[in-house]
Parts: sequence; structure tokens; C-alpha cells
Amino acid sequence: MRLPLWVVALGLLAAKGASGQGAPDTVMLHSVVIQAPRLSDFTSGIKMQVLDSSTMAHYRTASLGDLLRGESPVFIKNYGPGSLATASFRGSGAGHTAILWNGFNIGSPMNGQVDLSLVPAGIADQVRVQYGGAGALWGSGAVGGAVQLNDQPVFSRGLTVDAGASLGSFGDNRQQMLAEWSGAKWISSISAYRSAARNNFEYRNLELRGSPLERQQNAEFRQNGLVAATHLRINEGQQLHLHYWYQHNDRQVPATLLQAASTAEQRDASHRATAEWQRNGARANSYVRAGWFDDRLDWHGAATDSAAQNRSRTFIAEAEMRLRISSTQRIDLGVNNTWADAISDGYPNRLHQNRTAAFAAYRIGSRDQRSSAMASVRQEMVGGVPVPFTWTVGGEHAIAKVLSVKANASRLYRIPTFNDLYWVPGGDPGLLPESGYGGELGLHAKAGLSGDWAVHTEVTGFQRLMDNWIIWLPSGVYWSPRNLMNVWSRGVEARGGITWKKRRTTVKLDVMTNYVRSTNERAKSANDASVGKQLIYVPMYSGHGRITVGHGHVQASVGTDYTGYRYTSTDNLDFLPPYWLLNATVSCRIAKGRGYTADLLVQGYNLLGESYQVMLGRPMPLQSFNLGLQVHFNRPLRQPLHQE
Amino acid sequence: MLLLLAACHKDKPEPPVQGQGQTATGHGVYITNEGNFQWGNASVGWYDPATGQATEDLYAVANGTGMGDVCQSMCLHDGKAYIVLNNSAKVTVVDAETFVATATITGFSSPRYFLPVGNGKAYVTEMSGNKVRVVDLNTNTIIGSIACAGVTQELALAAGKVFITNESKLYVYVVDPATDAITDSVAVSRGGGALTSDADGMLWVACTGGGGTPATLYRIDPQTVEVANTVPIPGPRKSPWRLRANGTGDTLYLLNGGVYRLSITDAAFPSAAFIPANGRNLYGLGIDPLNGGIYVADAIDYVQRGKVYQYAANGAEVGDFLAGRIPNGFVFR
Repeated sequence: MRLPLWVVALGLLAAKGASGQGAPDTVMLHSVVIQAPRLSDFTSGIKMQVLDSSTMAHYRTASLGDLLRGESPVFIKNYGPGSLATASFRGSGAGHTAILWNGFNIGSPMNGQVDLSLVPAGIADQVRVQYGGAGALWGSGAVGGAVQLNDQPVFSRGLTVDAGASLGSFGDNRQQMLAEWSGAKWISSISAYRSAARNNFEYRNLELRGSPLERQQNAEFRQNGLVAATHLRINEGQQLHLHYWYQHNDRQVPATLLQAASTAEQRDASHRATAEWQRNGARANSYVRAGWFDDRLDWHGAATDSAAQNRSRTFIAEAEMRLRISSTQRIDLGVNNTWADAISDGYPNRLHQNRTAAFAAYRIGSRDQRSSAMASVRQEMVGGVPVPFTWTVGGEHAIAKVLSVKANASRLYRIPTFNDLYWVPGGDPGLLPESGYGGELGLHAKAGLSGDWAVHTEVTGFQRLMDNWIIWLPSGVYWSPRNLMNVWSRGVEARGGITWKKRRTTVKLDVMTNYVRSTNERAKSANDASVGKQLIYVPMYSGHGRITVGHGHVQASVGTDYTGYRYTSTDNLDFLPPYWLLNATVSCRIAKGRGYTADLLVQGYNLLGESYQVMLGRPMPLQSFNLGLQVHFNRPLRQPLHQE
Repeated sequence: MLLLLAACHKDKPEPPVQGQGQTATGHGVYITNEGNFQWGNASVGWYDPATGQATEDLYAVANGTGMGDVCQSMCLHDGKAYIVLNNSAKVTVVDAETFVATATITGFSSPRYFLPVGNGKAYVTEMSGNKVRVVDLNTNTIIGSIACAGVTQELALAAGKVFITNESKLYVYVVDPATDAITDSVAVSRGGGALTSDADGMLWVACTGGGGTPATLYRIDPQTVEVANTVPIPGPRKSPWRLRANGTGDTLYLLNGGVYRLSITDAAFPSAAFIPANGRNLYGLGIDPLNGGIYVADAIDYVQRGKVYQYAANGAEVGDFLAGRIPNGFVFR
């Protein structure tokens, strides 16, 4: 198979963009499909963390919330196993992280959020965490950062079957299976998964005298899902990519520690379908994409009158063109239209909204590939009314072979959600979009030391100022959202590692530390003692350290996570204490043969049995364990096409 | 990396100093602090106006544990305090002085207000479940219920009858405490909540209006079970609540943004607030029955300690002190 030169060049660029955390461990340039997520070549100066397949292997049946908690500095507001999990990225709020599935924002138009406990990490071949605001790239909501869940299809791979199962504490059992046919011209895959857990774990009730051991009630979780994908190479220049993702969740909602017993239940069901047509020309690539999402959320409380039903639909259409104007310069132009409607017991009538955005980006790189810079702009209209004009500029430069520097600045915004605007009672159609500015500066050093040692470290400082930050407060008899806060976030993220490798043995030490200050800078009322104080549920300090020892096909790691004080009052006088968790993982390839492998994974969490709460009144389990088996089978095509 | 961290901000908070083991003795006021929904941080504080000393959380100090989720109200009866914990779906009974818990009444769905009605019984209104519960105060158990659709709110005993407001209906309901049955009702605006009695033995109800009905104060004659007088509440702000009377029962106070004051003989609602809100988020109101002193609670942003302002009967500010989370009411002793 012969690929045009530019495909290889793009592939190299993508690999370069990924260099922040090391390139994926398997790079198959001979047959990789260049289906780079939108604008991924326009992220010069932006910090990007790519979670590669070896990392993802440890989270195959876990949720996206677990993945981000374990591998990134994103703080996950986790209400307990199987319960709601939302992200706080660099001190931002739950609606401030864009979650993108194959380039499409899957945030609910109703509350702007994604429940990360409902998104299986295994839904994606690759997860990319983009740090910092990227409003110009991804639109409203990408304030703290964006998480991209990407499919990475590879043509001409033959027949692949992947099957996995795991058993864990508290009745946790999960299964997943994937079958894929990958030919020279087309790929079709289907994967199905299910998981269930009783979550009847024991915890110490720290709210009661003597901290008695209690058992969690009403916390069962069930999930079923299916993903189907087809990739077609229509001809040398054209490709078509189709995705469909169905998921159904049924879970009980447990009571808090000081609440009466709960019988509440929540059901979520979603259909998500996307299509992308791609034409690769000599000087330009064109893309046309469309996505259709249909989300339902039904809530059944104890009382008959507390049932609530919600349904939202989103239709996204997008056209984009990437132009190569010279060997070092590229331009990207596109338009996006997002139509959403929703119906809810909380709305006066069926709501709908149409958003149209035009975006453009420019990238220039130096011929020696040591420097690059980009600028991107975006103008969005909501129902014909323009929202803040957004831009991002960034650049990076390799100062020396071992040291590079990155910097960017951007304008950010988040438009109010349907709930903010129209919820009855309280919603305010006159709310303004949140808007602000952010920027960061990062240094990345990577070096192979004498002999078998290698070190890398990355330190990034960031700043962000968001105005008109929306917060819901009671006003008289009911709650109402208001553009009240002005939030200043800043901090330092540091990450480093040292690796020693000799023949089949590898020893790795990884350390990550995060310092985040996110403070309200404006008084919400006359006596507000929150001015200059940290936002609630944003830990100022967090981090983790992990030692991994690998020998041949056996790998063992021990790690500890630290989460510092989280304030539970805006005057920062009430708090949840810090906690350390000790976790360990052992993975082992138990069988390997012609075209197949079988891997065993044993994981232990909170091995020291720390009693802790991430969110006030929501208990977390003491020790828990998980045993997983993953079988992979591949039969290559009879006649390999790769014969140059 | 370590240097960077060393330069950072200290994150360990320093909790405020508060009186340990203080009991509620003598004349003073309990402050009910609602706490955040589902956060389990409800509390009851105590303020001694003679010493100026405030205790933020009597219950935690006396019992070593948190009190529960959403303290809606509290009622003193027979040396005990009955604390209504809405989202814990229970009423906790404590000794009114030591605040040591002596019993827990369970089986509610979403209790709001508590009123002893004689014969060793009390009524408890509920936000959901469409009924008012009947509690036996000797056994501390629910022994019955009175069907009443909607969100029942405050209760008052007058002329041998129990009057119950209902936020989602257009009536004040009348219950005979001997039979535990609804015997009558009085038509009012929607959004009935606060209820108090005056010097003439008449009842006053504040309704926020809605659904085509106006925001109005109603004076109800408990003997005839009829509206004796109405005081319309003009705009722009029409959310009258926390209606209270002073000790002599000749003056009414309520929150409507700021604190409004009117005489029980006034025909019109005052045009200006007696104590303006001045950017504060006023959420609780209490009138000292001994001297007419006014206590106003500022819930600020609902996610920090509230503040209580103390005024003399003439409206002159006397002082202030910190309360717990979301102070919503005052109970005098």
C-alpha cells in the first residue's frame, strides 16, 4: 500500500503533538488511518496528555471518571461507586470540561455536563486530555479543558476479537466483547458491554459517635451498552466513518450519611450516532460531519410526586476544510451548527436552541520543526445572537534537544444551559454567558541519561479569570441562577518520571503534583466572606506517586494518591480532611500463542482501608479488589497489503 | 518542584473558636440552621443576649454527632425541644437545656413543622406525601395521619382548632384535634406559609400568591373560620414569608426582601421596609417576646456561616453574631 507523503507527515505531526506524554507504544504508520480529531494539528502550545494503550489496558472496564482520577490532575467529584461523577479541571466547575466523542461534544444541553461514571473508559481506543481553555477549538464549555475520546481504526488488520471479564468487590462484575473485521477498504466493528455492581460496601460512618461500620444501601448499578463502527475507504481520496453508541443505565441513588434511607432510582438511556465523510486532496482535506444524540434521564424518588423525566436531543452538523498553503503553513476553516431540544418536567414547554459557529485556525512551523505557532478564532451565535468572540494563540519551541517550552493564551466562554435559562421555577432567560481569559506557560524536559536511565519532567503554570460565573442560589422561595461570581484560578501542575530499563526489566517512578487556587473575587451579597477564598470542592493540593516494576510479561505497580483539603463552605471554615489512598496493580500475560494473548489483571484499591469522603456525606468503600481477564485474538489478512 | 510547592498557600483551615459544652439556660434564643440539602450539616445554635455569647452547634457538642439533614424548624414543649429534620425524615427530641437527645420520631417522608395539639399529641406537616402526621408524644411514634393534598406548612392552635397552611393549595385547613379530621377550610391566595396569632386571638397568614391569586396577608377569625381582613402586598417584590408577631401581639413583622413591620390594625402594607435588606440575603426572622427585640438572619450565599443581626424594638441595630449554615428561624425561651 502506498500512502501519499502528506499522510505520513500528518502522522508524524500527530505523534509530535503527543510527545508531551510519550508517543503511543505502537505506531503503525504503514496502515494508520489519518482521522485526526478536529483541529488536532492546531494545538501548538497547548498541553496535551495522551493516555496510551498500555495505560488504557488498566481501565478497560472502568469509567472515564476512574481513568481521569487515576491518570490526570482532573479532580473528580465522585459521589460514591456507581454514583454521579463530575470533573473539576484546573479549579473549574462541572460544566467547564468539554467531553468529546470522536470530535463531537456529548455534554447535555440541559445542564452542560457529562456524568463521567456513565462513560466507560473502554469506549475509546485513545483518550486525550487537553489542558486549559480551548474555546476557539471546541466552543462553549471548554473552559478548564477538554477530554477527547477517539476511535483509532486501522485498515488491513484482519479479524480481531477482544473479550474481557472482571469480578470485583461488592458484587461488581463486568463483561465486554469486541469483534472487528478490518480489510483494506473497510472496517466494521461491534462491541458490547455490560456491568453490574451491588455496591453494598462497608464504610465507617464518621458522622456518628464511635464511627460504626455501616453498609451502603440502595446503590446498585447496572449498565448495558453497544458500540458499532464502520469505516469505508471509498477511493484513494475519500473515506466515510460511521459510529453508533447505545447505552442504558439503571442505578439506585443512595442516601447520604445523615439522610433517611433512600429508594430513589435513576435511569439513563442514550443513543449517539455520528457520520464523517472525508476527502483528502493534494492541497486540501475536506470534512463533513454530523452527529445525532438522544439522551433520556428518568428519576424516581421515594415520593410519588418526586418523579422527573427529562429528554434532550442534539443534532450537530459541521463542515471543515484544511488547507496546506506551504510546507510549513496550514489553515483550517469550518462552520458548525448545533441544534438542541429538550423536554423536562422542569421546563414550561419543549425548548430548543440553535447555535451556529464559524471557526478558523492557522498554524506555522519552522522548517527544522523546532518551533511552531498557531492562532485560532471562533464566533458563535446562539439563536442569532452573537456570544463572545473567542480566540486562542499558542506556540512552542524546542530550546534544546532536551528542553522545550509551550505557551498559550485564550478567550473562554460558556453559554448558560437550558436549566440555567428556563428551569421552572428560577431559570432566567436573561443570563449572560460566562466569559474570561486564560493562559499558561509550560516547560518540558526529556533526557536519556547515561546507560539505562531516562528522565522526563513537565511543569506548567496556568491562570484563568472567568467573569459572570453562574451560580444557583435561593432567591426568596426558590433557587435561581445568577451571573454573580468572578473566579480567578491559577496553579502549577508538575509531572515527572524516571525510568530504568535493562533487557526485559523496567523500573519506573512517576510523580504528579498539582497546586490549584481557584478563588471567588466578587462579593455575592453584603456579608459574603467568600471573597478571596477557595471554591468549594476544589482541592488546593493533590498528587500521586507510582512505582512500576516490569519484567517480561509481568508488571506490578504500587501507587499512592493524595487529595488535600476540600472546603465545604465558601468561607473555607468547613472542610473534608485530606486523604491518602494506596493502590496496587499486578498484570500478567498468562498465555500467548499464534494470534492470541490472554492477560490477567489484579487491582487493589485503598489497601490501607482509609475512611474518606470525596463529597460530604457520601461514603466511599474501604479496601476493594478487582480481578480481570482479557483475551485478544487477531487473524491477519491472508495477503498482507503492505509490500513496498 | 518542591520549591514551587513551598511558595504556595496553606490549605489547612482554622475552625472558629466556639463555646464548648454550653447549655441553653435562662432567657435566650435558639437559632435553627437549616444546613445544605443532602450535606447533613443542620444545626441549632444558642444566643444569650445577657452575655452576648453565641454557640453555633448545641447538638454536636452535646451528642458528639451531627444532627441531620435540613433543620426545617424546632418547637419547645414540656422541657424538650422537637427538632424537625426535613431531609433526614425525622424529628429528634432533645432536652431543651442540655440538648442531649432522648428520642427520635421516624416514619415521615419530608417533615416541615411541629405543633403539640393537646392530649399528648402533636401534628407534623409534610412537604410530600399529601398528609399531616399525628404523633404520640408519650411513645414518640406516629399514630395516625390526616389526609391533606399538597405541601402543608405552618400550624397554629386557636379557639380549640388547628389551622394549617398549604403552599400549593388555595386554602388554610382547619383540623379538630379531638378527631384528627379536617372539619373546615378558609379560602386564601396560593403560597400560604407563615402563620401567627395576634393580641385579639386572630390568626394571620402570609400568602405569596401565584396562579392568578395576589400576594396578600389574611387576618382570619378562628371562631367563625372566616377572613376578617386582608392586606394586599403591592409590588415590586411579592414574596412575604416568615410572618411573626411580637410578644404583645399588636405588631406583625415579616420578610419581603427586607423586614416589614405593620400594626394589626393597619389597612395597608407599608411602602418601605422597616429594616432594609441592604444587599443582605435575609432568610430568618424572630421577635423576642420579652422586649420586642428583632433578630434577622442573613444566609449570605447559603454555603458559609450565616450572620444574625440583632435590633432593638425601635429598629436600632444592637449587634450581630455568627450562626451556623443557613439560619432560618429563631425559637425564644
